[in-house]
This record gives sequence, structure tokens and C-alpha cells, in this order.
Amino acid sequence: MILIVDDKEENLFSLKALLQLHSYTVDMASSGELALKKLLKNEYELIILDVQMPEMDGFEVAEAVTGLNKTKDIPIIFLTAVNIDKRFISLGYASGGVDYVTKPFDADLLLLKVKTFTRLYQQHTNLKNIQQSLETEIVTRKKAQEDLMQANLSLEEKVAERTRSLVELNSGLESRNAELAQYVTLASHDLQEPLRKVITFSHVLDEKYLQDIPAARQDINKIIASCERMRNLINDFLNYSILSADLTSTSVDLNQVVRSTLEDLEVVIIEKDARIEIEHLATIEGNAGQLRQLFQNIIGNSLKFSKKETAPEIRIWNEFVTEKSVDAPAVENGDFVRIYVQDNGIGFDQQYLHKIFTMFQRLHSRAEYEGTGIGLALVRKITEKHNGMVVANSCENEGATFTIILPVLQPEPHKINELII
Amino acid sequence: MIFLLVDDDQEDTQLFEEILNEVDPRIGFEAAQNGKVALQKLRNREAALPNLIFLDLNMPLMNGKECLAELKQDPALKNIPVIIYTTSAHSRDIEETLMAGALCFITKPMGLKDLRCVLSSIASSLPNQLENGLKHLNDTCGAFVVY
Repeated sequence: MILIVDDKEENLFSLKALLQLHSYTVDMASSGELALKKLLKNEYELIILDVQMPEMDGFEVAEAVTGLNKTKDIPIIFLTAVNIDKRFISLGYASGGVDYVTKPFDADLLLLKVKTFTRLYQQHTNLKNIQQSLETEIVTRKKAQEDLMQANLSLEEKVAERTRSLVELNSGLESRNAELAQYVTLASHDLQEPLRKVITFSHVLDEKYLQDIPAARQDINKIIASCERMRNLINDFLNYSILSADLTSTSVDLNQVVRSTLEDLEVVIIEKDARIEIEHLATIEGNAGQLRQLFQNIIGNSLKFSKKETAPEIRIWNEFVTEKSVDAPAVENGDFVRIYVQDNGIGFDQQYLHKIFTMFQRLHSRAEYEGTGIGLALVRKITEKHNGMVVANSCENEGATFTIILPVLQPEPHKINELII
Repeated sequence: MIFLLVDDDQEDTQLFEEILNEVDPRIGFEAAQNGKVALQKLRNREAALPNLIFLDLNMPLMNGKECLAELKQDPALKNIPVIIYTTSAHSRDIEETLMAGALCFITKPMGLKDLRCVLSSIASSLPNQLENGLKHLNDTCGAFVVY
């Protein structure tokens, strides 16, 4: 929209007619004050300004227009019939005009100027808008970046905090674990003392006073048997929970381990007339003491759960595999050794598989088969500490096969994790 | 010949004395209820030193390990053989005491028969064949002897 400012109505209307004829929208103001009011209210793309007006002349209006932020960019064309002197012309430019046209003017030329300046103004406005939106964009991006950094920072803080609290929690747990293990050791120790006393003096009682009273002897033997069972329970429990004194991992010849295990079990083997067949076994990294406990428990288990009328037969062999898997095919040389311990005992129903490796789970009454329910839990613990696994296969009455898979080399060869409950 | 038993457990001490007397009445028996008392007894005496010391580990005032260390530092006492005689066989305890100079580690037997076996093996091999006696003991009652 173009604003024409002139104190003479005839000038206003003639110019308006001319511009409207060329499809410009036109507004008019008959004084400088009126013009300023309109300028503040509306948007204009060009001002055609008369110089000589009462009250406020064109130059004053121009100065006011260029002094206002809203209007400073609107081009002003001065149009005058009176002030045609060079002095006024330069004053016009100085006050902010873009052109100074004197009357009489050539309508075509004026129209060309109007066209040029409105277009320039529009271009200017467009550029301003683009610049503004770019600035907004930059601000938005900066803000987004800051937000992102803030988020990163707070995330890092959160992670650090979480890590800290986990570390704290972990060290708390570790010390609690150690405390617990120590407590178990002490407790078992203290439990053994009075128990031994009960057994010893039951023997004394038996030997000194009960030799001629068979019924009483029977009873005292029940006391002794119960105490022995409790003692075994405490020992097993201790074995399970204790920080085993020697936890270093060395190169262990499994043949030797099994041989010494069989020596320990010699009494039972002879008593049950068991036949044990051992193929050549591998040498692996591990803790000798713990591996011995492992075989002692598995072989002991096989001997214990033998069929009443059949002499136990136990077969032990191993093969190499490339992965910790029950099904992986045997190879000449692998990273894992898969050890089988197969017996012809009473076996177990496969549905109880999950129970046999769990602490204190027994599948048989104590009258049928003795045992504390800790042995196989210990086996699992030891294989796990050696980064291996153990599974069992069986059908009831058809014997059982225990499969132990152990890595040939330990990832940290000199340390097996401490055995803690 | 004299055996000294250092043990705070009176009942164990009584039983020990009883069986020792039964196994070989000629062997003198002395008892001390902890390491401190034992050292006092040994240091302030004019009579002959005991030929063998049975040492419990878990005792008040001065426990077995402390007593063993003192014994082995004392030039007058360090040659008396010491047998650790205690309830539970912790591998750490066994290792420590054997390293500190104990002759062997025996867990207290549960039954009279076993106690008799232990004491008679030891008594019959003294004074000169203690090591053989312990070997024999290891073969016959191996379950509770660590040698």
C-alpha cells in the first residue's frame, strides 16, 4: 500500500487516481501528523510526501519516519512544486528520502519510480524476513544444541552416579558376602565342637555301660548315626561355602585327580564291589582341590545311588569340543573338554533334573539313601567357577550320565573365583 | 615318659588321660588349660620336660598357634615334638601349624577305639620311633591324621 501525504486535497486525489489506475492500493493523509498515525497503524511500502505542509513539513515527517523502527525502511519520495532549490533537495535526501521529484512531473516517470521503489521495498522486506527466519533458525538450533549438551551432561552425570552407586552396592555386597562366608565358617566350626562331644561321649557311654544292654546300644547307635549325619552335613556345607584356601588355577591332570578321588573312595568301592573304568583324561587349567571335590561328589554320587542288587559300574571318559555345548561334535583338539561319568545306578526321573543340582534337594528319603543334598550343588558351583557347565541325563532305573564341560584354559589362568555361597 | 596336653576342654582332657592311662599306665600325664599356662608350666620347672605336647588350637588367653610359635622360639623347649590336636581340620590351620614346626596335625577322634588307636601308636613308638609311629597311625587311622 502506498501512502500519499499532502495538505492539498486536489493533489491527493489526482495522484491517487493515477496510482489506482495502475493497480496500486493507495492511502492518503492530509497532514504530517495524520501520516505518522497511519504509518504506525498500517503497513506501507512507499510514501509519497509533499514537502510544504502547515504544522509539520515533509522533512520533519521524513525524519520521524526514518527514526521509527517500524517505518525506517519505507522508501520516501518527496514530491513538491515549491521547494525545488538544490538546498531543499539535499535536505530531502538528508532527512531520509530516496528520491526528490519536482512538479510538474512526468506521470510515467513517477510511476516507474514508484514501481522501482515498491519492488525494492518488497525485496528488502523479503530479505529481512529471510534474515529474521534465519536468525530464528540459528537461535533455535543453538538452543537445541545447548539442550543436547545439557542432556548429554546430565546423562553423563546420571551414568556416573549410577556407576558410583553400583560400585558402592557391589563393594557392600562383596563385603557382606565375605562376612557371610566367614560367619558360615565360624558357625560350622562352633557347631562341630559340641557335636563331636555328643558323638565321643555316646561312644563312651556305649562302651562303658551299655555293652550288656542290646536295646540301649541300638538307641545310642541311632544317636551316633544321626550325629554323624549332621557332621557330614556341616562339613559339606562348609565345603560349599568356605573360601577354599587354595584358589589358584594351575595345570591339572584329570587322570591324577580321578585316581586320588578313587583312593579316597576306596572303602566304598570295595564294599560295593564297584567296577570303575577310566579312559585317558585330559589335562586342563583349574583348581586341583576343587576339581577333586567335583569328581569326589560325582563319583561318590554314582556309588551312593547304585542299585541294591547290582554292583556299581562306572565309566569315565572325555572328548574335546570347540564350544561349551552338550551337542557339539567331538574334535581332535578343542577349547573345551567334555567329561562323561556314566553309571548303572538307580538314575532319576528327568523331570527332577532341575532339583538335583540345587542345594538341599533330595530325591530319596534318608532311609533309602544317605546324603546331605549338597554334593551336586557343589559340583555345579565348581563347574561354574571354572567357567564350565554340568548336565545330567537319566531315566529312572537306567543309570545316569553326568556331562561336565570345562574349558581347557581358564580366561584368567591364575585365579578361580572364590567360592562363596 | 610324660605327655602334656594343652586343651581348654576339661572333658576331652579327662578322656585323654583315662585312655592314655589305659593304653600305657607308665606314661605320665600333665594338662594345661591354655597356651599361657602351658608355657608357665614348662618354663618354671625342675622336673624333666614332657616328651610330647598335644596342642589344641582354639583356646582362651593364648591359642595353639601363638603357643606353638613361643615354643619354637624358646631354645629350651623347641625340641619337644608338638602334635596339633583339635576338632576341625581347616586346610589353612594345617598348613600354618605344620609350617610353624608342628610334627603333625590330628583331628580329635570321635570314638574311644580311635582315640586308643592314636595314643597307643604314639606311645609304643616313643621315645625314638615317633615318626614311624605316626606313619603307622597314618596308615591305620588315616582319616584324622595329617602328617
